[in-house]
Amino acid sequence: MHYKRDINILDFYGSLDENTLLSYKGPIDTRILQVIGSYLEGLLKESPKAGRKVFKIFIELAQNISYYSAEKSIIRNNEEIGTGMVLISDSINHYIFVTGNLVKNDDIVTIIEKSEIINSLNREELREYKREQRKLPVGQKGGAHIGLIQVALTSAHPLDIEVNPIDDDYSFFSIAVKIDK
Amino acid sequence: MENIQIAGKHGVNFIPTVNFNADTGICEIEGESYLEDTIEFYSPLFKWLKEYCVEINKPITFNFRLRYFNTSSSKCIIDILNILKKYKDDGGTAEVYWYYDAEEEDIEDELEEIEDFVIETNMKINLVPE
Repeated sequence: MHYKRDINILDFYGSLDENTLLSYKGPIDTRILQVIGSYLEGLLKESPKAGRKVFKIFIELAQNISYYSAEKSIIRNNEEIGTGMVLISDSINHYIFVTGNLVKNDDIVTIIEKSEIINSLNREELREYKREQRKLPVGQKGGAHIGLIQVALTSAHPLDIEVNPIDDDYSFFSIAVKIDK
Repeated sequence: MENIQIAGKHGVNFIPTVNFNADTGICEIEGESYLEDTIEFYSPLFKWLKEYCVEINKPITFNFRLRYFNTSSSKCIIDILNILKKYKDDGGTAEVYWYYDAEEEDIEDELEEIEDFVIETNMKINLVPE
């Protein structure tokens, strides 16, 4: 017998290549942060420098999803937690870290603008931009941008941003980050 | 004035170990700071420091020994440095020491962040390799 399936599991499997270390979709709460965080710490001991960077980038991007994803899940104690995806793949020279989550179309322009600014700056300019942004009073979404600046500084590569419109209200926002080994 | 003692946690909440001692004026934050709600955690620490500055009004030695911290924690570190800077400007004595693992592979990144703290707050930070 077959249960009703909403996804084609073979397509999903095929879309992740053999370099995939980890893929997760779901609410990103503190337990998931802990589990994936310690998995990464253990797994990446072989390349400590890249390992620390991957861990730091994971925490920033995962916490961004947890706070700011437009898709929320209600988990224990009626807590509302942001939902999204996390993918990590391992190549010979680098790790690629990818996250994806829904963003309201009203917010997407700001995120793209900020990402473009981040990618246009060299390291010193980026540090200055971080200091400026950090001085601003804590706005509702302000934290996310500083997180992105820090991710760019930690990775020392441009952020690879992709936006796919979903409908009138939402888009799928994805960010890929490269970490040298 | 009561001391603050918080045991650090490496696990669900990545809470740093905190020891603020009103008798000695030695305040320490060490470990990892990757909390979700940084403001909730750090607010009592800001309050304690401000009270110490007014009520006790003796020298403060502030020791950081943080291996990991996220960007929202870095905002709170800035707030602490700003409180200490103001105390100093108002005539108090405050020294900040940042202990770091010189062997750490990505130590340049950490030193860069500390340099940014100094630029942003104008508070002197003494770097201590260990």
